[in-house]
Amino acid sequence: MKENPLTPLPPSRGGNGVPATDSATGRREAALVPASGTPFPRREGGRGVRGPWNDNLTGWLFALPHLILFTVFLLVPVVYGFYISLHRWHILTKIQPFVGFANYQAALADDIFWLALRNTLYFVVLVVPLGNLVSLLLALGLANVKRFSTIYKVSYYLPVVISIAVVAVLWRWLYNTQVGLLNLYLKAAVDGLRGLGLPLAGFEPIPWLANPSWVMPSIALMSIWWGAGGNMVLYLAGLGAIPDDYYEAARIDGANGWQQFRAITWPLLRPTVLFCLVISVLGSFQIFGQSYVLFAPGSGPARSGLTLALYMYLQGFNQYEIGYGAAIAYLLFAIVLVLTAVQFRLFSKREDYTPR
Amino acid sequence: MSTSAREQYGQRTMSFLPFIPASAVLRWRRQRPTTPGRPFRPRLGLALVALLLVLAAGCPTARRGGDAGPNGTTGQRTVIRFWNGFTGPDGKTMEALVRQFQKENPDVAVEMQIIPWGTYYDKVTLALAYGGAPDLFVVHAARLPEFASFDTLQPLDSLYASSEPPVEADDFAPVPWKASFYQGRKLALPLDVHPIGLYYNTRLFEEAGIVGPDGKAAPPKTWEQFLEAAQKITKDTDGDGRTDQWGFVFTFQRTNYLTFLYQFGGSLVTPDGKRSAMDSPESLAAAQRMRDLIYKYKVAPKPEGVDAWLAFRQGKVGMALEGIYMLASLEEQKGLPYAGAPAPQFGPKRAVWGGSHLLCQPKGIAPRQSEAAWRLMRYLSDHSLTWAAGGQVPTRVSIRQSPAFARLTVPYQFGTQVDWVQYEPLTPRSNSLFQFADPAVEAVLLDLDTPENAMRDASRRINQLLSRP
Repeated sequence: MKENPLTPLPPSRGGNGVPATDSATGRREAALVPASGTPFPRREGGRGVRGPWNDNLTGWLFALPHLILFTVFLLVPVVYGFYISLHRWHILTKIQPFVGFANYQAALADDIFWLALRNTLYFVVLVVPLGNLVSLLLALGLANVKRFSTIYKVSYYLPVVISIAVVAVLWRWLYNTQVGLLNLYLKAAVDGLRGLGLPLAGFEPIPWLANPSWVMPSIALMSIWWGAGGNMVLYLAGLGAIPDDYYEAARIDGANGWQQFRAITWPLLRPTVLFCLVISVLGSFQIFGQSYVLFAPGSGPARSGLTLALYMYLQGFNQYEIGYGAAIAYLLFAIVLVLTAVQFRLFSKREDYTPR
Repeated sequence: MSTSAREQYGQRTMSFLPFIPASAVLRWRRQRPTTPGRPFRPRLGLALVALLLVLAAGCPTARRGGDAGPNGTTGQRTVIRFWNGFTGPDGKTMEALVRQFQKENPDVAVEMQIIPWGTYYDKVTLALAYGGAPDLFVVHAARLPEFASFDTLQPLDSLYASSEPPVEADDFAPVPWKASFYQGRKLALPLDVHPIGLYYNTRLFEEAGIVGPDGKAAPPKTWEQFLEAAQKITKDTDGDGRTDQWGFVFTFQRTNYLTFLYQFGGSLVTPDGKRSAMDSPESLAAAQRMRDLIYKYKVAPKPEGVDAWLAFRQGKVGMALEGIYMLASLEEQKGLPYAGAPAPQFGPKRAVWGGSHLLCQPKGIAPRQSEAAWRLMRYLSDHSLTWAAGGQVPTRVSIRQSPAFARLTVPYQFGTQVDWVQYEPLTPRSNSLFQFADPAVEAVLLDLDTPENAMRDASRRINQLLSRP
């Protein structure tokens, strides 16, 4: 059924029985019909009123499944978590009194909170630059491999797929001071070098997970092994996006490998590098599984494996002080938010793709 | 959160959405105007509700037994849910006991769920707080005051009073019996006691000549005998200048420390439970003696990356203080000659750390469930000789004195200590103390700090914790 384009829609005959004047759509259409009666072009086959409201609705309907999931599983918990953080809230109590920001004050006065923050920062500082360097080197190495490149890519990427629980259990054995493979190989290597006449001291087993000063480096090493493949894929994509002509031109000009890297690869890869750095910082600030599986309750010798996310969890679900745990979560959120803002400032500077 | 909201969660409607009860969604839906003027919005609302319902249906909500009716009954059978953490061989024993119980009580259907201890209390706590609590569950003696202080456990006084045949207090070991009360109310039925004890490697003892008049390995009873035995066993067997056979190892530092501490007459907190006692002279003496085993007498390895229990299993260690629950892992170790004995006396007092599994019911349980659960509790207690075969010491005096129990050599040896067992402090915040106590003990044993500093630090934190409202 086609509408008569010449007359403004009567109020009683909206497309779907909508009184046209009732909605913004109807009013606008009525107003748009020129006084002279010139027909306002309408889409053929339209069911009726088709305006911004309908388009909006379509958009919302498309977004709806995600919106619901986002609201239910993210937005509501996030807001509710903040609400919890303002209360003294033990899981089993019947009454949870409002305490304002007391939980936040308590956290800031809690030296274990600061220790956990320091441990977390130490981990970030260890893992982000080193991990990205490893990923970049892997990507650079693999970029020009022609044969079996998929096999290499898959094998470097494989650890990423493993759950952190499995990785941690695996590495706990590798790190075992007495019977761990790592110490065994190191001892064999040192003994071998000594056999060659090098003046080396006898190998003392490294207490990877037992000595407080070794704990974070050990966790970092394990995490780099675990996560390097992920960033490697991103770097490979970044490298693939650099046109070959640039390298060709450089080679004609007689540039060596290092010069090519300095003048072409690095500047053009910078957006990828920044992206990877942002993602790594965000990811490593939330380090949890490693310490949880390796140490949990006390969290390692001298609490050296205790991270912020883990401390939050332990307070919330081990001590059942979920108000306090939620406050720690929000402090962690604030820290990460600030860092992300700083990084986005850096990230948003676009690299000029014309070679200098 | 109001009490009425909490009751709503108890009905288990959409339990994954604690903030939006189903009724609220439905109410919202009803209140939407369905005037012809707004045809889209209600449909949107409908879609939303439909989606939520689909989500709710897809989520595993707390289930009350197969096709159980509204009161947890299937026809004539009463369904009771029983949670515990017996993941080891003890779980097999428990399953067999429950099966046998069901054969003898055809009107009760038991749904047992075994949850690893590591996450067990998380689950129990959440279930008690937000609904879905089991009808019968295990609580360790030291955790009872915590749950009781939040009023989550059902008083069992009337069940005890009406039980036939009557439950005789005299037939229970006094320590677990007392631990099943909180502020004068009986809240649990104690199932077992599991003190730690001394496991020793009989071959290493015989090789070192630590034998009795009968030529068999003689376990030490006093500190002097213990130290002498440990010194005789500790040696460097392959001559590389490094000790590789140790007299003793610290396995689980918490239970080892508590045993030393109690033997020196100390405790984690003052008797009123209000302040820390970790910096008391008794505690310092206990910590110093433990530390001396590693750094002064050098008969125990620094607990640094040593898988201590593995070392004992491999036959490289003479003695270890561990729980009866570790027995199964020794039995599966081929060719390891070991035996069990009561813990030696390291300090002036006779004491040993132990735990107990108590059987509890949730507050507000339906009478029918409660009665059926009580029958199972009685059954387990009456048959705790079978339970002992799974590696636990029964609380019932009559069973502990039976010849059948004496044949279970290691449990019997460990069981002789039952009357001087001491739990962790029986206060509501007991479990929280260890977030500070454990790292302090570890710091002492790893020589990261002096006993004085480590214990003072832990005390300060514990006092801070206990002063919180």
